[in-house]
Formats: sequence, structure tokens, C-alpha cells
Amino acid sequence: MEEQLTKKQLRFWSASYFVILLMMIAGFLLATSQITYSWRWSVVPTYFVTHQDIEINSEIEGEVQSIESQGTSTVIAVRGDDGVTVNYDVPEGEILASQGDMVFIGDTLGKYQEWVPGLLLLGLIMTIKVSIYSIIIGILLGIIGGIARISVNPAARWMAYTYVELIRGTPLLVQIFIWYYIGSTLVNQLFAKYGGFEIPAFWYGVIALAIFTGAYVTEIVRSGIQSINRGQTEAARSLGMSHFQSLGYIIMPQAMRRILPPLAGQFISLIKDSSLLGIIAVRELTKATREAVTTSFASFELFFTCAALYLVLTFTLSLFVQYLERRMGSS
Amino acid sequence: MIDVQNVDKIFFAPHEIQALTDVTVKIEAGEVVVVIGPSGSGKSTFLRCLNHLESADRGQILIEGVDILDHKTDIDKVRAEVGMVFQSFNLFPHKTVEQNVVLAQRVVRKRSKAEAKERANTLLKKVGIMDKANVYPPQLSGGQQQRVAIARALAMDPKIMLFDEPTSALDPEMIGEVLDVMKTLAQEGMTMVVVTHEMGFAREVADRVIFMDGGRIVEEGPPEHFFTNPSHNRTKLFLSQIL
Repeated sequence: MEEQLTKKQLRFWSASYFVILLMMIAGFLLATSQITYSWRWSVVPTYFVTHQDIEINSEIEGEVQSIESQGTSTVIAVRGDDGVTVNYDVPEGEILASQGDMVFIGDTLGKYQEWVPGLLLLGLIMTIKVSIYSIIIGILLGIIGGIARISVNPAARWMAYTYVELIRGTPLLVQIFIWYYIGSTLVNQLFAKYGGFEIPAFWYGVIALAIFTGAYVTEIVRSGIQSINRGQTEAARSLGMSHFQSLGYIIMPQAMRRILPPLAGQFISLIKDSSLLGIIAVRELTKATREAVTTSFASFELFFTCAALYLVLTFTLSLFVQYLERRMGSS
Repeated sequence: MIDVQNVDKIFFAPHEIQALTDVTVKIEAGEVVVVIGPSGSGKSTFLRCLNHLESADRGQILIEGVDILDHKTDIDKVRAEVGMVFQSFNLFPHKTVEQNVVLAQRVVRKRSKAEAKERANTLLKKVGIMDKANVYPPQLSGGQQQRVAIARALAMDPKIMLFDEPTSALDPEMIGEVLDVMKTLAQEGMTMVVVTHEMGFAREVADRVIFMDGGRIVEEGPPEHFFTNPSHNRTKLFLSQIL
């Protein structure tokens, strides 16, 4: 029998939870107040979006012939010494030239401000991009691996086994180094020798994460398939379905439902593990945060923000999977 | 139609066991053969060898003249012609009753959606479950599930039907409804091999009864002879225990 709390005890311990939480936060704030750290939360938003000045410079030498305003923007016509007129469009902003001015190459005719994404936002987008690519490739690898893992064909079975043990038995950080330094050296030199193109660091990061995740997904898929009653395969095969038809129509759909929760855990790990890619110059969220810290020195605020952003990503994924589970469970 | 010659089957796991020894049977088209015997006698293994769910180790099995132990044989094609009904139903729980009956028609027989659905509805009516077409199998009783399983197998228009203890997992009051469907099928001239403990069914419907023990066929013959005047002591003992 489960232990029961009285209503009074229940209220006391529920309140205790919040008190403990508040005390921990207060304790931390108290500690920071003892050192000379000035909180500057105001700088954080500027790392999401910033206002940037954009200057419009003359590309020719000549004379400003006319300045006409057209709606919100302004057109500055510069007549070059060779008689050719070039028009410059300045969106809503500041006009720095006036009619009849002599301009040289590089002179600023006008400037305007534009919203540009800041470091943290760029990093967040990069983290999402890396994660999505890695998850998709990881799922594919995992399904192929999982099916191969229980194949009757020893070549397929042993390959999958080797893959899983090799990847699970070595640190992800080392794998990323291997893909980036050894992989890229090989690939780039081979390309240099035989012609072709270089692969950017981003893709080495994706490959490392996808292959790492694929190994875990392989085991998840294998256990999912094996958890489905043998009778299901026998029924499907006895109707004349092939091995792969039976897997595709009967086994995998049922296995998918069971492996969704461990799969979600794996993908949440992947999002967090993507923070390691900073070491191979992929500017994902963690690396972006570190860069932001070096320019602003607001390390407390930025790292807290960084952590919160990861939490938003992983929690969203977790909610999405819960939704999927409910939808699949209802059918 | 089914020609089994000198078949041996050995299981190696969990420990070595000779499940079938020198089994030779010939079954003609339209014949209803009931296989009986104590548990572990090899009767289910024998049945499962007929559609290659188990692979016989020695001997020859011809289904409509096709050697199913030959590696060059496309076993999926043979299986499409041989329906099987399992003790534990093995319906697909993620598909509705109708989808269960439709799926293999579409995937294996490549029938159009409309054609497959029509065939499914006809068969569900035949087994008396048409009002449950859109229900998922776990919501049905055992007897209903088994009737759906029979409809699913019949939807492939098989030439042979194999029944592996189809009523053993059912509550007593549901056995009748499943046996009735099987009787109808037998009357329509389906070639059937039935592993069962239902002696009433064997007596009433079977053209021939095969008694197996210890992986061998001990005795076979028409039900009258079998139940009234068995020749082997082992058969007598078995019948005296269960009748």
C-alpha cells in the first residue's frame, strides 16, 4: 500500500518546496551581492536583435545631381565624372549628402538603421538547425541499424553491432574531434587532389551528432521491435507479406509507439550535446554565448539565458512527443 | 494438394529436441484433416511446417506441387495461398477490424481499396462481425477476435486453411461461435488442416483424423474408426484421457 499523507502534512511539504526553492535563489543573490558583480540584464536583449547602422557609400567619383524623396525612401543620383549617373536608394534614415556635393569613392551618402539578429539568436538558430538535421539522420541510421541488428544476415547484424559498440564506447567529444580533424583532413586533401569542394565544419558537426545518436537509436529501435510479440510477424508473414512489408506495416508502427518515450530522451540529449560543437567552430548557442560574454562581460546573465534557451528547446520537444504519444495512443 | 514426405524437424534451443520424426501425410483438395495428440506431440510444429513458419530439416513438403523447402521457391507466394489461424489470434492491434482484413489484400494481392473493402465486408458479414468493422481488436471478445482472424485469412482467397488450436485460448462459451464458422467453411469445400482438442468437431466435421505422439504420426483414419475402434494402445490411452 502506498503511504498516505494527511492534508495538513501535504500542505506543509508543498509549501516547503517553494520555500526551499526561494531560499536557494535568495542565497545565490545574497552571495553575488557580496562580490562586486553588477547585474546588467539590459544587455541581454541586444544579443537577440540589435539595431545596426548601415551606411550607403558612393561607388563612383562625381557630383550629387539630385536628391528626391520617394515615399519613405530617398533616391540620391550621383553623376560620375565620366557622365554616367548612378542612383542610390536610402531607406528611411539620414541623408548625409546635399545637392551639388562633390563625392569620392567611399563617401557616405546616407545611412539608415536595420534590425539584425544578435549573437544569441544566431546561436539558437544554429543549435536548432544542427539538432534537426542530426535527429533526422539519426532516426534513419537508427531504423536501418535496428533492423540490421536483428537480421538473420550475419554481415548486417555484425556491422550494426560493431557500429553500436564503437560509438557508444567512445566519448562524443573525441568523436567530434575525429570527424573534424581526421575526417576533414582526409576529405579536404582528397578533394584538393581530385577536385571538388570543401565541406564546412557545420556538416562534420551534424555527422558526428547524427552518427552518435544513431547508435543509441539503433538499440532503442531493436528493443522496440523485439518487444512486439512474435505472433505479429507470424500473422503478417502467413498472409504472404514479405519480411520488409511485415516490418513496415505491422512491426514498426507498433514498435514506434513504444520507443517514442526513450527516443524523446535521446533527442533531448542530442540538443544538449550539440553544445560541444563549439569546439569545432560551429557557432551554436553555447559558443555564441561565450563570444557574447567576452564582449559584454555579463557572464552571469548570458549563461543563465543560454541555459533557459536550452530548456525551452528541450521542453518544447518533450511536449511535442507527449502530444504525439497521446495521439497515437488514442487510435 | 499437400504432400509431406519423411519430414524431420529438430529444435536446438533451448535444448535439442526432435519435434518431428519421419512424418508423411498426403492431403487432398477439399479434405478436412484434424490433427490431435497430447501437448508436445509435434502437431503444431507439423502445421507450422506446412507454411514454412518452421523450416523442416529433412524430407519434402509440396504445396500444390510447389516444393516449399526449396530455397528458390518464393515462400511469400505460397503463403498467400495458405491461410493460417493462430491460437492467440494475432490480430494487428494498431489497425481496425476492417483494416486487419483489408491490409494484406492491398499489400500482397494488390487489390484496389474498394475491392478489398468489399471483400472484407462480405467476409465480416460471413463470420458475423460486420457491426464491429471500425473497432480495434483489443475491444473485442476472444471469440470475436478469432472470427476476425479467420476473415483476415479468408480475405486472401486461400486454397488451404491451417488452424492452430483456434479455440484453445477461448472462454468455453465462445468456442461454439468459432467452430460454427469453421464448420461452414468445411461444408463449402475448403481444404483444412486443424490442430485442436475439440473432439466433437473432429468427429462431426473431419474427413480424417491424425493422431500424433512424440513427433510421429501414430495412427490416422476416418473419425468413425478413430473414435470407436482405435488400433494403437497409445491412441486408446489418449482418447480415454480426454473423452
